[in-house]
Amino acid sequence: MNDEVGGNQRRARFQALCQSLRPDLLRFAFWLSRDRALAEDVVQESMLRAWKARDSLLDETAAKPWLLTIIRREYARTFERKRLPTVSVDELVAKEEPMLAAAEEQNINDVRAALMKLPDEYREPLVLQVLMGYSTAEIARELELSGPAVLTRLYRARQQLRAACGEDLSLDPQE
Amino acid sequence: MMDHRQYRSAIMADPHDADPDLLAHRGSCAECRAFTEQLLRFEARLERALRVDIPTKAVVLPFARKGAQETRRWMAMAASLLLALVIAGGVWLTLPQRSLAAAVVAHMADEPYAWQLTDVPVPDAELNAVLEDSKLRLKPDAGVVSYARSCNFRGHKVPHLVVQTQSGPVTVMVLVHEAVRKSMQFDEHGYRGTIVPVPGHGSIAVLMRDASSRSGEVERIAARVDDSIVWTR
Repeated sequence: MNDEVGGNQRRARFQALCQSLRPDLLRFAFWLSRDRALAEDVVQESMLRAWKARDSLLDETAAKPWLLTIIRREYARTFERKRLPTVSVDELVAKEEPMLAAAEEQNINDVRAALMKLPDEYREPLVLQVLMGYSTAEIARELELSGPAVLTRLYRARQQLRAACGEDLSLDPQE
Repeated sequence: MMDHRQYRSAIMADPHDADPDLLAHRGSCAECRAFTEQLLRFEARLERALRVDIPTKAVVLPFARKGAQETRRWMAMAASLLLALVIAGGVWLTLPQRSLAAAVVAHMADEPYAWQLTDVPVPDAELNAVLEDSKLRLKPDAGVVSYARSCNFRGHKVPHLVVQTQSGPVTVMVLVHEAVRKSMQFDEHGYRGTIVPVPGHGSIAVLMRDASSRSGEVERIAARVDDSIVWTR
């Protein structure tokens, strides 16, 4: 009886935790996959995996990075399980237009369109840094890269985005 | 002394970096200050762009859908499972090592990124933290350890390492709680591996992903890994 009450409390607590983190998790999954439906599937599956592996979460304050790691792995598994159809970036942008066009300002939509076209290897560390607040060391650990490799990717990500958005690059460092 | 190029490269990688050298350069260079302001304006756009709208929706996880009907169904299933477990338990007890190998192979599917071919070693502090839990350390000649995690495995925390060898990445799991009577080889789901006993310290599982690797290769690597481990208790 006590076990059942404890189990229910634990479920409710986990449910509340997932609920509070859901927007950020979905945004992360969306920018990984650039596909809202796939992002929702990945997050849902990840939460189930997280529940099964809940004993490995020793500190609840670390829940967000823990869940983000599970989401990255789950997204990778999606490709292992089935070969997703190849879709051009323009098709992806068109497909996600309702989500991307939600911003009122055109200049935000320009950045979103450029983000959709950014290579995965640049987009992922950028999302972790800007959206999730990861430090360079944390990104390096998550992506299994060296610190300098992370900084290079972040530099190139911003360089490509700014160029795509028509920013003034006259003061940019020349490579 | 930092020059303009170094400053702008660093600030483009992290516009909020508060490194004292960066701040000092910015304070003394009007052009770099202008560059930073331009970059921070773009950063604000970027942050807003990444924050796509998420429809408000309650999280409904299948484990949370509970009800009397479901409880009854689970009880019926539990009764059937109990019977199945009694039968399966007999088989399990007769094939303990085979079960262990299957569990090791199953664990691989949970961490596909671990197999990355890389020459970037895990930071020493991270590696040591993983190894200390199992009271061991590695000799310096163990090779590049590119992945190190403490994983839950059959109810225990165990070190899960990936060592880069000339034959490619090799996974090593130190199974202090899993004593085996003798070495065993397995070749399952694209993994070729071996589990070797370590008297007084359980066993070590060593796997390669390339099932076409040369015969005896895994065993040779396992012997080298065994030699590289220093037990601290």
